[in-house]
Amino acid sequence: MTTINRQATPQDPQNPKDSQGLHEDLHEIWGNPRGLKALTIVNHTTLGLRFMITGMVFFLIGGILAMLVRTQLALPGQDFMSPDIYNQVTTMHGTVMMFLFAIPMLEGLAIYMIPKMIGARDLVCPRLTSLGYWCYLFGGIILTFSLVIEMAPSSGWFMYTPLSSSEYAPDLGSDFWLLGITFVEISAVSAGVELVVSILRTRTQGMALHKMPIFAWYILAMALMIVVGFPPLILGSILLELERAVGMPFFEIAGGGDPILWQHLFWLFGHPEVYIIFLPAAGIVSTLIPVFAGRPLVGYGWVVFAIIVTGFISFGLWVHHMFTVGIPQLAQAFFSAASMLVAVPTAIQVFVWLATLWLGKPKMKLPMLWIVGFLVIFVCGGLTGVMLALVPFNWQVHDTHFVVAHMHYVLVGGMFFPMIAGLYYWLPLFSGRMPSETIGKWGFWLTFIGFNTTFLIMHWTGLLGMPRRIYTYEEGTGWDIFNLISSVGGFVMSAGIAMVLLDIALHFRFGKPAKHNPWNADTLEWANSMPPSAYNFVSLPKVDTRHPLWDNPDLPRTMAEGKHGLPVATNGRREMWGTDPLTGKVREIIHLPGNSWWPLFAAMALAVVCISLLVRIYPLAGIAVIVAAVFLLRWSWENGAHPKAAPDAEVAPGDPPLHSRTMDGPGLWAMSITMLANGSFFMSYLFGWFYLWTVSPEWRMPETSPLSLIALIVAGLSLTCGAGILEKCVRGLRQKRDEGLAMGMYSISALGFIQVAITVWVLLSADLAVTETAHDAIMMVGLIYVLLHGGLGAILALMQGLRVGYGYVGAHAPFEPAVVAQLWRYNVVVFWIIVGALAVLPRVIGS
Amino acid sequence: MTSTIQRLHLTHPLHFVIGLTLWCIWFIAVYGGHAVACAVAPPAPEQGVFTLVNAMLLLVSIVSIALLAALTLGCCREAKRHEGRLRFNAAVSAGLYLFSALGVLFAALPIIGIPPCL
Repeated sequence: MTTINRQATPQDPQNPKDSQGLHEDLHEIWGNPRGLKALTIVNHTTLGLRFMITGMVFFLIGGILAMLVRTQLALPGQDFMSPDIYNQVTTMHGTVMMFLFAIPMLEGLAIYMIPKMIGARDLVCPRLTSLGYWCYLFGGIILTFSLVIEMAPSSGWFMYTPLSSSEYAPDLGSDFWLLGITFVEISAVSAGVELVVSILRTRTQGMALHKMPIFAWYILAMALMIVVGFPPLILGSILLELERAVGMPFFEIAGGGDPILWQHLFWLFGHPEVYIIFLPAAGIVSTLIPVFAGRPLVGYGWVVFAIIVTGFISFGLWVHHMFTVGIPQLAQAFFSAASMLVAVPTAIQVFVWLATLWLGKPKMKLPMLWIVGFLVIFVCGGLTGVMLALVPFNWQVHDTHFVVAHMHYVLVGGMFFPMIAGLYYWLPLFSGRMPSETIGKWGFWLTFIGFNTTFLIMHWTGLLGMPRRIYTYEEGTGWDIFNLISSVGGFVMSAGIAMVLLDIALHFRFGKPAKHNPWNADTLEWANSMPPSAYNFVSLPKVDTRHPLWDNPDLPRTMAEGKHGLPVATNGRREMWGTDPLTGKVREIIHLPGNSWWPLFAAMALAVVCISLLVRIYPLAGIAVIVAAVFLLRWSWENGAHPKAAPDAEVAPGDPPLHSRTMDGPGLWAMSITMLANGSFFMSYLFGWFYLWTVSPEWRMPETSPLSLIALIVAGLSLTCGAGILEKCVRGLRQKRDEGLAMGMYSISALGFIQVAITVWVLLSADLAVTETAHDAIMMVGLIYVLLHGGLGAILALMQGLRVGYGYVGAHAPFEPAVVAQLWRYNVVVFWIIVGALAVLPRVIGS
Repeated sequence: MTSTIQRLHLTHPLHFVIGLTLWCIWFIAVYGGHAVACAVAPPAPEQGVFTLVNAMLLLVSIVSIALLAALTLGCCREAKRHEGRLRFNAAVSAGLYLFSALGVLFAALPIIGIPPCL
């Protein structure tokens, strides 16, 4: 195979001549293809870079939009942009920066960095990484294309209803947003799932939880927050798109809906989103400060504590974005208190960073300059955040430029500055070259001064009463000079960012070759070659310290010489350790799939779904959904004992078994985490159902439930019966028994299809008026949800039956039915909850 | 008491998330319960804070604080009995339970001062 990443740089620890054979063997297996086949690459290093480069392109687009906004607002009475174009530009600036830059950029960094830091060779679901990238790219292109045709969303980046509903936004702008963002969110959730599983199950031998690099803790929290935090917005987007396309009145008062439901669903996602962005950036800070202070982080346990607290409390703050919508004072007080609580873990981290610097001997290199800039700006942003948590103050400055200024202090200070620090820090790893300190310092100071000139001043503009999202203002309002200063600052900041980008671009050609581990860092990513090889490490070390390269500086060399775990690549498989999530003890060898077209094909089919929904060609959308499902199922077929995966279970003497020959591979964990995301989606749905029932002023519930309770109970029993048989099959496989397994799987599938058929009958016979009442519309969504899940469960069970026949599943390869059982368990629980919520409770309580 | 602590496996990292999950459940119960109570049976404004709604919210909060405080103590004891990974787990869990307890206390304070449905 022709591969790239084959050349090692002179300072490469993976370059000893006596172990060259090992490198060649590993390159044969892991190397990336060139040409058209580069589209099939699933390697985390390549995909992480693709995420980051694509993110930077979207950042430039978002930045240009920001400059257009500042040009428009520089002087009073400007007509540089029409009101509608201005609304499109501001909406897209926020949307692009939040959804297409901040999250994908940090996810890209995590995708690139996490396996290297934890001593693994790749992420645990490489094809999922690839699918995530393509969904991100296609979704981003679809969304930004709306700008080109001047049909971009214009209702603000949070798309409040009814402003974004058909009545006030009849063109396609809102549809671009809802469909494009949902598409991009597939990418975010995919990355979230696999980062969680990778961190928990693929750390190198001996790396117990309390020995993990601190960055991995941050990414673990971020990934779990994505998994739980994104589904509410996915649900909200689906509901709003259904309202716009079909007329289901989820957010229309007259139909029994409520526009405030959108705000709840959006901010259930939106506030954790701020911390989803902040946490990985803080992880960069906690990684860099000890390196440049030359001592371990003070209070590792305190930081772990702070990360976990932030992850949870950030889900309890969403209503502080809604203090002016008219909720009772007591409820506002709960959210005000919770909003203040979240400052505690943030403050702990700030004090930990200061203490580490205080006790160390900080070296003021370029990355540290950006870290200091972060500390100054983020602390200011945090303080205005506490001010905004106070209800009376919040009322005063709500929807003014003060909030815009606060948000930029938190997001630019809390994400952009650490991210640039991280880019400068890991640049030698990416390229093998050092950046220019001179250009870099110019870039920093211009950005720092420009940023504060723009946004510090904007606090005063806001306090003087300037509302956000107005496209112009009259002369003599007292806002003129402040807006002009902000605009000048914005352009200075742009010049700074341009210098940073110039520095990064030039360093690939003119940067000095970096010596190995140029910052004298402590974590394993610096044991790689620079730039890294496709397989990361020739051998996987045993690590029993938080600072492997400080405690054993010789480790990169011995790893490259193949003196640690899994150095042999004789069986042609991509392999790495699967370890115990708590202790880091080796449990199995995880074999990973190779390069594949399926992720690209599936993403392309999903893009067709997205575009055909946008232009409202629904039959094509339906066909594309089926095609995407076929691609995804075909992808899942090439697993386990399939000839393209691991037909041969042979391992070296003394090595643990392959994961597909055990009952606890990473796929099981990936399914569990996926069900967590799914559960978050379902809980959001239930919240919507009960919220409208309780709060909506025009909620109309029929005297008698339209759903046949008896039919639903029969369907539920069929589903439960199928799940019971599946559990029995899995128990048998645990005891190495597989008699009647194929027949069992077919029976389970049949029971699943019976449940689907009965549920379809219930749905059709209910005769729901989905365009007239939110009650019927939300009932329909719930039934379709259980239908889709039931159908998927039945199809997967059917495929398992077929795989038993092909010899891919059985006592010798017992893993997969256990994964399918997770879905069936979930389906059973969800089905009965749906029956209870939609069919039983209305009968018991009434309307 | 000792056997109860052993059964809870307070050195397991699952306790990193249990305390704050309890905090979240408390938060949802209090916010949701309060919203439902105000929608279904709002007390008269002249009752001030001396309402059944406030009393129930306070009761739920006190029970939550007591539970979280007990788990904090249990984790502290376990942390003292172990070294290394297990000590780390128990100590971090103790901190998280304590924060959760104080979090309930702090966020519940308005219950004693603000009438429920205004």
